[in-house]
Amino acid sequence: MNEAILPRDKGAAPLDLMIAVMAFLAALALGASLIADRAAQNWQNGLAGKITVQILPPQRGDAGKTLGAETQTVLGILRSTAGIARVNALSQAEQVKLVQPWLGTGNLVSDLPLPQLVDADIAPGSDVDLAALSTRLKQAVPDAVLDDHSHWIGRLRDLAHTFMWSAYGVLILIAVSMAAAVSFATRAGLDTHHEMVALLHQMGAQGGFIARAFEWHYFRSTLVAAAAGAAFAALLFMIAGGLQFAGVEAVPFLPPLGLKAQELLWLSVVPAGAGAIALVTARLSVLAALRSIY
Amino acid sequence: MVRFENVGMRYGAGPEVLRDVTFVLEAGSFTFLTGLSGAGKTTLLKLITVAERPSRGLITLFGHDLATVRRKTLPALRRRVGVVFQDFRLLDHLSAFDNVALPLRIAGGQPADYALDVDELLSWVGLGDRLGAKPPTLSGGEQQRVAIARAVVAKPDLLIADEPTGNVDAEIGARLIRLFAELNRLGTTVVIATHDRSLMENTRSREMRLVDGRLVELRVRT
Repeated sequence: MNEAILPRDKGAAPLDLMIAVMAFLAALALGASLIADRAAQNWQNGLAGKITVQILPPQRGDAGKTLGAETQTVLGILRSTAGIARVNALSQAEQVKLVQPWLGTGNLVSDLPLPQLVDADIAPGSDVDLAALSTRLKQAVPDAVLDDHSHWIGRLRDLAHTFMWSAYGVLILIAVSMAAAVSFATRAGLDTHHEMVALLHQMGAQGGFIARAFEWHYFRSTLVAAAAGAAFAALLFMIAGGLQFAGVEAVPFLPPLGLKAQELLWLSVVPAGAGAIALVTARLSVLAALRSIY
Repeated sequence: MVRFENVGMRYGAGPEVLRDVTFVLEAGSFTFLTGLSGAGKTTLLKLITVAERPSRGLITLFGHDLATVRRKTLPALRRRVGVVFQDFRLLDHLSAFDNVALPLRIAGGQPADYALDVDELLSWVGLGDRLGAKPPTLSGGEQQRVAIARAVVAKPDLLIADEPTGNVDAEIGARLIRLFAELNRLGTTVVIATHDRSLMENTRSREMRLVDGRLVELRVRT
């Protein structure tokens, strides 16, 4: 007893399918924004607090000997600088490994005059005057270039933020499309159930009573369809994470495409949001339509 | 309770289907609205039940001038009117119980509060064993009795019935009229549109007759 006033529409499957697909795309966009956010954090954490000094190979004389002396000078300056916690000159093998993704493993690498790289970590909480350090290095070793990675960090952060905002834009577009679809379906539902609406109206039902019958109807169906779409997207993210865990190599320079458990929970925002959109849209559509009835 | 003054009604640009209709329904009265098909009975009932606006004239319902009453007051006025539609207008996906309970749900009632009343009423109209039946599985007469139970379940101040006994046998018809009379005795104002003059026998009532959209005859049976 006390059954739902609005019957289940027989032709509702296409709407449910469309909602599920939109929720799937929304969950993908949301997941991608989470991955971009995590990547930006990782890049920031990985590079912040680190500086690199690059000593270009000399063009004249005994390049190897000069480069070695310049490296020792740079190491000395860095070690004597307050706030520098660790200093390390990269070995030839480490430097070759760095350029291997671009130049491969052939003889070309060993024939090229590679610059000497010196890594240094800034102690947490220390305030190193990088401009003054750069000037001191330049004066002592004109071929030395100090890189505090701020340029890279900034660009990576901008890239990640661009990606995140694009994902949010996609989410907004999907939300608007979903609202339009539910509005259209509600109006079609009002037409289909015109006699029932007229009867309830005639029996003295307030607009809110009739609207509730529609809004809960579309809320439930949208919630279920969107949950299915979001669950499918979550499954894909879990498969992506599983592939990585199984040792399948990720695309170079891209962050891992899997989502952590707490990030997967964020995907539940999609069906909840979709349900809320359906609820509000259906209510507004019904109330607007009822205003045209005496 | 209901007052019509020089009321006229036309649909769109068509001819007037009601012309200069003037009458008063006193509280507690029992009225038969008669007339041939097309005389305007259903339109007159639609105006009384606030389903349509008149093209001209003044209608007062429960002391409210319908031309000036605020829109948000209309649902409350409609809830005071029980209507038995000629075509029943039952919701096919709801059980007989839920169809009858609909006015109580609309009024904000809870199933626990009205379940017994609905059961009793359906038993009274002979459908005590068909509570869970959906209208498509009911005969025409059974559907009509569900429609009547739905109209009276909320104990309306005004009961409007459009050909309420058209699909039931004489015995059930007489029983339904007794139900209307009983409601009338308890204070409900009753208006029944019919062309079955036998219904008027043995009922203390007033007759309003419509001919070509005009109210031409007023008669009291005692």
